[in-house]
Formats: sequence, structure tokens, C-alpha cells
Amino acid sequence: MLRADLELAEDADDAVRIVSGLLRRGDHGEAFRERRTAVSWSASEAGLLTPSVSEERGTAVRIRSDGGALLFAREGNGPESLREVVRDASRRAGGAPFLKARPAAPRRGGGAPAAMAEEETALLSSALARALPDPRGLSLELTVSRVSVTRAVITSRSFFPCGTSVRLLATGLVRRTAGTRPFAFQSAAPYPAAVHALALALKAAARPVAATPAPDGPVDVVLAPAAASVFWHEVVGHPLEAEGGARHSALARVAHAAVAPPGLDVTDDPLLPHLPGSYGYDDEGIPARRVSLIENGRVHGFLTDRRTGGDESNGHGRASDYRRPPRPRLSNLTVAPGNSPLEELLERCATGLLVHEIAAGSLEPESGRFLLLVASAESIRRGRTGAPVSPFALSGDALSALRELDQARGDTALPAEGLGLCMKGGEAVPVGGVSPAILLRALRASAGRS
Amino acid sequence: MRPGPAHGDALFETIFSRLTRQTSREGEGAELYERRGTVLEISEDEEGTGLLVSHERGFALRLFRSGRSAFGAATPESAEFLIEEVRESIPRSRARRGARAAPPVSGDPQTNLPAATPALPEEEPGREILAAFRRYVTAVGEGTAVLSAASVSLGERSERVATTAGRDAAWASRAASLVATVVGRSGADRFSAQVVAAAARPEEIPLARLARYAVDRAVLPLLGRPLDSARRDLLLDAHVAAHVVGRLAPLFLGDEGAALLEARTRDSRDPFGSAAVTLVDDAGVSGGPVRTLRDGEGTPQGRHVVVERGIPALRLSDSAVAARHGAASTGNAVRRAWSEPPLLGVTNFFVDPAGGVAPLQLLSGTVRGLYAAVLLERPWVDVAADRFRLSVAGYTLEKGRASGRVSEAVVSGRISEFLRRIETVGDDLRFVSGAGGGVGSPTLYVPRWKSD
Repeated sequence: MLRADLELAEDADDAVRIVSGLLRRGDHGEAFRERRTAVSWSASEAGLLTPSVSEERGTAVRIRSDGGALLFAREGNGPESLREVVRDASRRAGGAPFLKARPAAPRRGGGAPAAMAEEETALLSSALARALPDPRGLSLELTVSRVSVTRAVITSRSFFPCGTSVRLLATGLVRRTAGTRPFAFQSAAPYPAAVHALALALKAAARPVAATPAPDGPVDVVLAPAAASVFWHEVVGHPLEAEGGARHSALARVAHAAVAPPGLDVTDDPLLPHLPGSYGYDDEGIPARRVSLIENGRVHGFLTDRRTGGDESNGHGRASDYRRPPRPRLSNLTVAPGNSPLEELLERCATGLLVHEIAAGSLEPESGRFLLLVASAESIRRGRTGAPVSPFALSGDALSALRELDQARGDTALPAEGLGLCMKGGEAVPVGGVSPAILLRALRASAGRS
Repeated sequence: MRPGPAHGDALFETIFSRLTRQTSREGEGAELYERRGTVLEISEDEEGTGLLVSHERGFALRLFRSGRSAFGAATPESAEFLIEEVRESIPRSRARRGARAAPPVSGDPQTNLPAATPALPEEEPGREILAAFRRYVTAVGEGTAVLSAASVSLGERSERVATTAGRDAAWASRAASLVATVVGRSGADRFSAQVVAAAARPEEIPLARLARYAVDRAVLPLLGRPLDSARRDLLLDAHVAAHVVGRLAPLFLGDEGAALLEARTRDSRDPFGSAAVTLVDDAGVSGGPVRTLRDGEGTPQGRHVVVERGIPALRLSDSAVAARHGAASTGNAVRRAWSEPPLLGVTNFFVDPAGGVAPLQLLSGTVRGLYAAVLLERPWVDVAADRFRLSVAGYTLEKGRASGRVSEAVVSGRISEFLRRIETVGDDLRFVSGAGGGVGSPTLYVPRWKSD
């Protein structure tokens, strides 16, 4: 266990006893501890500017009974913070546990929000310089952060250390005279590899916007692996998160039906190391589990948490932070490769667009209508790539898009290094994806969007 | 400088005393910030009901030395270690060319500080809001739309800033928000829409208007027909217009947007908008989601006219921008969270409805038009490229009357031209959350607009 994990577990036995005493017969629930540190730099086209460090600790107690859910949260993740939230929860539930108050001691365990080491800063600085060798005509407003999150779940029986995840994040704006584009990047790879990937992503984002407009109307598209990951995430992942309206999503309404070509499997896998969405236990203490969402082209499973799946939860209860309740959320969506090289997909497409990067996407679950904002693409003519095209939007509905998915898939499945945070209802969780290139027919392109 | 009277426990005073001793030795300036907040959230969905109670407390520190600055933030358990961590960072800090960090702000120590720990909001008003909103949706939806999930959040907050230059200010604020998902049905077709409303007080959430907007968002895509982009009189509903106004806010923040604004107005030879367009930032306006007395640096806030009758008049600033220009800060340092450094942002940024007319009067002036009632997607406005594109649903208009439902229409073109062709504004100012604060607009009327 890392030092930060040990710090959260220092009163593990006591904590389990306290949570056990809180829950009455018929109640389910758990306590949740979190420590989040971020070491950040603001950056411009001229390089790194202002450093910042932050550390946030929090504790929550959650109780579920007969269709009702309670969550009490406070700052601090030590023994006294747990006692305080348990007192809050007990008062609300009508009980009055006797938990003697103790003063909270200052804590620096697990490493305080220490600034980035000199060599790590130098690595980041040189990566930015490599990404923007000639920043003339370019204005960059960027925040680069290395975020470390350590979590633990305490049930009435056990203490589950969820582990520590470390990610490199970058968000901001890239401005050129011809337009402004948002930039978002994250990677859970080891620091040097993550910084290298950031430099490549930033270099691509800083390229001048292509002048050739994308066509308006129906279009066939080849999605490169990174773009395909966003497609799977929006079109298959979100509609199969078992929650509220999503339970009636266009895909959920046709459970077990064939919706895609035979041989297509789409799986959510939180156990893949080095992808941003990975974890060992979910935020309710359930062991992470692979879940098959589409199997052999048929809708097969849903992602559940304790509220939607009860004791049958498949370990996808994820919280954006300790103040928010867990909800069924995606982790890393994976699609196995086929055996077609990219050139073959381009040939099958003949005329259309090759999409390299999708900046953002959304899906309306009831109708299945989706929108993907394309940041980088090239035209395809006679099976070959042509001129880069300016940003545009792709839209369609999930069932038609899956039905029109070409059976041929790329022969290499690659991780989507730049897949950003997934926002749902204003709550962000890190996600990842692995996919080969795919060919989709008859989506609708709308020019002039980014 | 000595901090004011003890504010709850003495942790703020303890850290600030150490800070004062150490920074005077090192020739540094410092600013210490504390935020305490409570949030009560009540939610309902198909799985059941939920109650969430959250307390937070955090400290943030900024150190300044020779035009450089560094930031750090921590919860109380580790706040005492902040000074060393932030000081270690300062030597590696750099300033953007021509943008040195300003020393900490001085002035107006307060002697009467508000209560340190904000009270937990009561549950009952929240439950009443949910019940009332459900009634409105049922009434407006007329069987075509139902409320599938809703949550109301009520928050109270107290903040304090002290600087080694003599500022010691504390203030309190409240906030309320409603998030709801409405599902529209027509035969076998379904469409859902999530809507969000924010206000400074729970009683100020415009429930009836929000219910109408939510039902239109969920039902129009199912019942209407697509509309082409022929030339038409255009009425932008206040909600739709507010989102567009929010995308203009960065033009008036500090020095970053100045060059862009100059390009759009050809170095002030062209107006920014028509004479009907007056843009205001006001932290105290009625109906605005933000109502605070001071900004994130403790500077008193007020009303600032940034565009007057189409002509740019003022830029919004925080202490750093103000110091560079030798002017007073407008009080626009915004702390999105206590754990993040303050950024330049808006409070309530809106098109002034003063002199506006009732929306029905605007409607009566249309010959052949489109009433853009709802946004189907987030609006795209790129001021650098001078383009905008809105995907909307609404109603066709014929001789001042609604003549049909529109499931989807695109309103697009040059944003500079659009702003200069706004002929009249309504008197129905509405706010939405955006640009880091609140953004608002009344209904806007643009005659004979041709989307490209």
C-alpha cells in the first residue's frame, strides 16, 4: 500500500465498528474517505507561469433504505471527521450515538501537497517548448495538473482501500486569429510518457485550422482509434448506465436484441492498468468487474451501482468526489480489433471523412440522438485521404449508427490517450477507451462547428 | 497588520500570524482566504428520494514576491503546512510578459465579521420547490411531458480574506439551484431534456418559466418540423439569448480579450452592437444567480456598464489587471472553488432590459419569422472567427402569431453582424449559469435575419 492509502487506513478497525453501529436493521450504507492533491501550473505559449499546490480531504457517510438515500459529507478524512459525519447522519436518522469528541490533530501524512520536483517541472517545460516551437500568432491559456486521488470505503464489515490514481490533466484554450478551440487532455500513463503524449496532443491542437469546410449532410466516416473510443463511450456506454431515464434509453429498450454486426463485442473494463478509468474497488467498496455491454452484436448488460443493482451491483458506482453520491458510470470501454488495415477501411469508405479527433460528444438517452464535435479530420476521396477539413459536427441516432456500422474493423486497437473527463450531470470522472478504427455509414455532418 | 476578531476557531488567526511574521522577514506579500459552506440537496427520481448534506471548509494562500506569485490550498487538517509548500514554489514562478503579479490588495479592515459557520438551510423550502415544479410541468406538459428526475440544492457560504497589506474582509452569501429532467412522448418517440436554473435565493428560481422551457425542450423536437434557413424575423427567447451573451463575456475580461474586441470593432471605428445593446455586470441585480458583496479578493462589488448603447465602455478587472492599468479593481476576481486560484470572471453579466418592451409587443412586429424558444445543443460562438451557430427549436411566426412548431432550425452567421442588427430588446430579463457566474438577457428581436 502507498503511504496515502495507509494514512486513510490508520483507524480501520475503529472505523468499521463506527459504521457498523450507525446502520440499523434493513439499512445499507458505507463511509467514504478521500484525499485529493493537485500540483498545477498555469501556462501560456511562452511556457510555464504560476505554480499551485492543493490538497483536499473529505469524509462521507451514505445510508440507503427503502428507496431513500442519505449522504452526509464533511472536510477532513481523519477519525474525528468520520465521527462528525456519523453524528450528523445519526441525528438525521433519529438516533444519538455516543461518540466522544476528540480534537483533530494537524496531519501531513501521505505527503503534503508538495510542489512538483525540479526535474519533473523541467520535463513538462521542455515538452511545451517542443509542442509549440514557433508560437507566433498563437495564444495559449492552459492549466496543467498532476492530480493524485486516494480513496477508501468502509462498510459495516470491512475496510476497502480503493487505491491511488495519478493522472496528468491539461485544460484550456488555444487561440489563433482564425478561431479558438478548447483543449482537454488526460493520461494515467507514467509521468514521462504522459508528458510526451501531452506534447503531441498540444502540437496537434495548435496547428492552424484547416480552411476546407466539411460537407454538410449525410456522410460516411472512418473514425481513427481515438475518435472511435469517444463514439463507443457516447453511443453504447452512456445509454447502458442503469440509472433513472437512462434505464429507458434507446438501447436499454431493446435489451438482448441484435443492434450491431455479429462479432462486435463492447466491454467496460475497469481492471485495465494505465487507462484513466481503472480502479480495483468502486466507490462503494464493490470489486471492479468487467461487464459486457454488447456481445456478438446484441445488447447484453448494464453498468450498475448499489442503488440500481443492490447486492448484484457489478462495481460501477463511481463518485466525482466525496461530496457527491456514487452513480453507475463507465470506466474504460474496450472494443477488440478486427483484421482490416486502415487502408482497407478507407477503400471501403471510398468517399467521406477520416476523423482523427473528437473534442466532445453528447447523447440524449431517450431518443438515442447523439452529437460528436470533430476537431481534426481529413477528406477521403477514391479511398485515399485528402485535404484536412475545418471543425464540424457529426450527428445521428444510436440504433441507426450501430446498424450501419461496417463489419470490417481496424487491425490495431489503441488506447485513447486524450479522452477527456466524462461529465454527467456536472460530475466528472476519469474514463478511458481502447478501440480499433471503424467505418460508419450515413452520419450527418454539419459544417462550421467546433 | 493584525487580523480582525477571531472568526469561529482561531485557525485563520494562527496561520495569518505566522504568515505575517514570515513574510515581513522575507520581503513578501501574502493573502489568506478561508471559505466555509453548507449545502443541502433534495432529489427525486425513479429510484427514490435522496437527501444530501455537505459541509466544507478550506484555506487558500497566495504569496507574492518581486512580481511573482504562487498559490496553495488545503483543508484545515493540513492548512498549517501551506506556507512552506507555497514558498518553495515561488522561485520557479514566472510572469507573462507585461503581466507581473500585483502585490496583495490593501484597505478597509472590517470590524464586524459575519458568523463563521453558515447555518444549514432548511429542508422544507426545497421540498416545496420540487412539488411546485412538478405541478408546473404537469400543467404545462398536458400529458405530452413528464418530470422524470429533479433535485434542488440550497447553499450558504461565508468567506474571509486578509492580506499583509491591511485588508481584512468577510462576507456571507446564499445560492439555490434546480436541476430537472423532463421526458417528452409522442407515440413511440421519446425525447428528454435536462434543464438547470440558479438563483441567489430559492424563492427567485423562476419555476413556471423553467417548466415551460423544459417542456418545450422535450416536446418540440418530437412534434415540430424542421425549418430551412431562409431570411426571417428572429425572436430569440431570453433563455436562448442568455447563453449567447455568456459567450461574449471573455471579451470584457482583463487584457486577454482586448485585442479581439478591437479587431471586432475595427479599433473602435465600428460599434460592438446596436444602440439597443447595453451590457452590464452587476453582482446585486435582482434575479441574478450571484449576489455577493465582495469578490474573491475581498474587493467590494458593484454595477459596471461594459457596453453602453453598443459602444464598449469598460473592462472588468481584478487586482492584478487593475494594478497594471493604475485603476481600481471592478471586483471581478472569482473563486470557483476554494482550492483554485482566483480568476477574472463575471458576476451577473447581462443585456440591460431598461427601455425594453414586452415580448408580446416584439411578437406583434414580426411578419414572417422564427421564435427560437429553446436551445437543442450548446451554442457555438467563436468571436475570434466572428461566427456563431445555434441549433434551436421553437415556433414559426406569421403576422405576429405563432403558426407552427419547429423541431430544429439553425441560426448562424457573423456574430458581429448579429449584435449590430438587434433592433429591440424585451423587458423579460432571465438568467442562466454561465461564464463562471450568471449570464442573462431579455428576448432579442432581429428583423430579417438570414442564416448561412
